[in-house]
Amino acid sequence: MSASGSSRGEHIVAEFDTENVEKGLFHQAKEGKITMVLAFDDSEHSFYALEWTLNHFYSPATGGGMGFQLVIVHAKRAMAAANVSGPGTSAEEVLQDAEMDQRKLAARTVEKARAVCSAHSVEAVVEIMEGDAKHVLMEAVAKHHADILILGSHGYNSVQRAFMGSVSDHMAHHAQCSVMIVKRPKPQKGTKKQTH
Amino acid sequence: MEEVTATVVMEGAVVGPEVAEATTAEKKGFKVVVAVDDSENSHYALSWAIDNILANRREDCQLVVLHVQHFVETTFMYPVAGHAVYAPTLSMDAVRKAHEENSKRVISRAVDICKSKHVDALTAVAEGDPKDAICEAAEKLHADLLVVGSRGLGMIKRAFLGSVSDYLAHHAKCPVLIVKPPKGSHK
Repeated sequence: MSASGSSRGEHIVAEFDTENVEKGLFHQAKEGKITMVLAFDDSEHSFYALEWTLNHFYSPATGGGMGFQLVIVHAKRAMAAANVSGPGTSAEEVLQDAEMDQRKLAARTVEKARAVCSAHSVEAVVEIMEGDAKHVLMEAVAKHHADILILGSHGYNSVQRAFMGSVSDHMAHHAQCSVMIVKRPKPQKGTKKQTH
Repeated sequence: MEEVTATVVMEGAVVGPEVAEATTAEKKGFKVVVAVDDSENSHYALSWAIDNILANRREDCQLVVLHVQHFVETTFMYPVAGHAVYAPTLSMDAVRKAHEENSKRVISRAVDICKSKHVDALTAVAEGDPKDAICEAAEKLHADLLVVGSRGLGMIKRAFLGSVSDYLAHHAKCPVLIVKPPKGSHK
């Protein structure tokens, strides 16, 4: 793979030595605050994840969550070029309208998120980023130097995941920071069914 | 599908009186279950979880360290006879003992980490297939959050997720936190 003499040498032996692990010396904290990036789309799962985070990290028991910084990120789908045919319309107009609609939708979503935060008296940074959710989240994590990435989960089964892809799956594999997946508890059925 | 015993073998303080004090957990407390195995990754996950999650709510949190012991097989296939023979009890006991020693080592190391950070933790040991055992234990313990390392004993130096953490992300009933190793260590 890499040629010899590379300055960032590959560590082939153990990834980190024991002492430092136990002293927790790898903990990064900027001004003592732990940055959490929460991925927010308009789904109920995201709302649940947001509420859960606010309830558990910003409760009175934690002193109002002084040690945490919450960044809510919403991924807005970028409008690709569209081919439109038909009398009286032009591609640019349709594109502009679609763009406007997307922006309004994103703004509304973000407002909802802000409302939930204010209801818990939490000040959170809310951002709209354009693009595919996976890329947006990777960027957001890098940009904010996140310590934790929080995601809701649609709870797809393996077949659905194969068809539709799973953002939480992708982030769990590839994110540079720790990933917390918050699932809505399913109503208990009779017997627990194993999908694998 | 073969039966998997996922019994919680021992629940409760194994370290000294100071842990018993921690069990004045209010019903509304935040219960964090951290699954540890032999890997550095999981002990780092424990350390990280204490630093970041338990950081501001020491009084309210209850930390449980969970270790899944290797399942001791009751039957072995001996090539000579060609049919399954029940393993002689002596060798089974030896194997079981070895696994218990291993468990003790892992647990005591985890507890040392907790102690050094002044966190009281309960310990729990379950037996069986790690994926199912951790899921069931988390349910039984009514965990509010399950913490796992991202890669266990089968460490691969790439952006990869261990099979247990992958399974838990999809099947656990409670939120799952997957702790990645520090940036300097991979790639």
